[in-house]
Amino acid sequence: MPASQWVKTLIFYELLVGMKATITVFIDRIVLRKRKAVTLQYPHEKRDLPGTYRGMIALLKYDDDTEKCVGCDLCEAACPSRVITVISSEVAGEPMKRYAKEYYMDMTRCLFCGLCVQACPVDALAMTREYEWAKYNKRDLYLDKEQLLALGDRNFPVREKKLEFQHPNVAYFNIGYKNLPPKDS
Amino acid sequence: MQMSVFALAALVKIAVVMGVVLLTVAFLTLAERKVLSWMQDRMGPMEVGPYGILQPIADGIKLFFKEDIVPAGANRFLFSLAPILSLVPALIGFAVVPYGPNYEIEVSGVRIKPFIITDVNIGILYILAFASIGAYGIILGGWASNNKYSLLGGLRAAAQVISYELNVGLAIISVLILSGSLSMVTIAEKQAGSMLNWNIIGMGHGNGIWWWFPVTQFVAFVVYVISSVAETNRLPFDLPEAESELVAGWMTEYSGMRFAFFFMSEYSNMILVSCIASVLFLGGYHAPYPGTILSGGWALAEGVFWFTVKVYAFLFLFFWLRATLPRLRYDQLMRFGWKVMLPLALGNIVVTSIVVYLLRI
Ligand code: SF4
Ligand code: SF4
Repeated sequence: MPASQWVKTLIFYELLVGMKATITVFIDRIVLRKRKAVTLQYPHEKRDLPGTYRGMIALLKYDDDTEKCVGCDLCEAACPSRVITVISSEVAGEPMKRYAKEYYMDMTRCLFCGLCVQACPVDALAMTREYEWAKYNKRDLYLDKEQLLALGDRNFPVREKKLEFQHPNVAYFNIGYKNLPPKDS
Repeated sequence: MQMSVFALAALVKIAVVMGVVLLTVAFLTLAERKVLSWMQDRMGPMEVGPYGILQPIADGIKLFFKEDIVPAGANRFLFSLAPILSLVPALIGFAVVPYGPNYEIEVSGVRIKPFIITDVNIGILYILAFASIGAYGIILGGWASNNKYSLLGGLRAAAQVISYELNVGLAIISVLILSGSLSMVTIAEKQAGSMLNWNIIGMGHGNGIWWWFPVTQFVAFVVYVISSVAETNRLPFDLPEAESELVAGWMTEYSGMRFAFFFMSEYSNMILVSCIASVLFLGGYHAPYPGTILSGGWALAEGVFWFTVKVYAFLFLFFWLRATLPRLRYDQLMRFGWKVMLPLALGNIVVTSIVVYLLRI
């Protein structure tokens, strides 16, 4: 070992370097006031969420107050943690049209990956920016359709306009199935 | 009459010292959290009172109302005895510390020293003896809990305290050689003068023209500080507690006020160790400049002020070390204690004895 190494060992050089680092931070913070705490006083101040923040999931409605969901079950298939349960059913009297009679999300298992939102063919699902959902009872996180629709209403006040499908081949998506435009020629 | 005045004066002094020490303990817990958070870019406690200054009170109330659990299979008697056995020795040591100048007043024919509870002529031995009794509290607490983590923590504490008590004792011996007394008061008085006469620099021990020759006790000081950090089980030597390996070491099974007793004993040990260090090495109540600036009664206050400053500087050093250093591995701790600290302390005794002998020829 070279002599300088010996001297460094004898005077606890590494320890002194570390001590200097901490006291520098301390002086900068308390005496010079150059530094600020990086932490936030959480319930009083909140961090700015990034634009792509993925929070609680919500079901959406069209501007005429009808549900977007067509009960296709694709979200259930896409979900990696089996959060979603869809019980799909026919719209009475309109055999080609379906809707989700019951729709459950077990948010205790959700990992907020967003795959369900991507999977939905009619953009009925959306991710909100809500995150303060701590509960005393775990079962409060088992959300049904009403709660999910309420989440959607709360977070997305501007609803999408419902399109009337004109082409005869897709027009059965319309609510007014019985008023289909006539198939001419 | 004289007896009762004497007893009353002693009781008042004890009450004041206990009050100040326990208050300091309470606010040290807050100060530690604040200093640590400032060194780590955090805020520390901020909720209770402005900037969190009432946090110790909230903590105290919380601990007081916690359920008192004695684990199944624990030895009830030793389990209850251990916290007391570790707190009482930590508080008893304050009896012989000189908090201010050795000044006497006369109250109805009785001579009272207001800044010294008692001047035992074996003061430093008394403190060392009680400090090692405190270790029994930890060992017994660890054993009586009937928990493997507690037992491991207790055993570690035993080994660590034995290794490092030795170094504390040896580091102190050279100071005793310089001052020729075991009394804390005499040791402090011998360092009168200026900063240069403090034992850490150690001038003023030679005869004639050699008066300036420094018999520096810097090595003893460093050995003492490191060993006392180890003795109080503070980071980086907190192996008996070692949260990341042993849950909470010997305190794992303790809750409520018993836990608070251990907590208080740790912090009062820190204060005691700081008091001893400032008396033995940093001149106790002596100012760094010769004499005092203020006169009369204010000179006494100045002495107390300097003593307080030194003690708090030491306490800050404890926090600073904790904010900086990671915990040692167990074999490193033992190797450092026996192979580095012990030879250094022994060598320091030999060198000091020879130098003092030559200087006093
Ligand atoms: S975000 Fe991911 S885990 Fe959560 S419901 Fe959607 S697909 Fe399932
Ligand atoms: S939310 Fe979308 S994907 Fe899921 S069932 Fe409804 S329409 Fe299909």
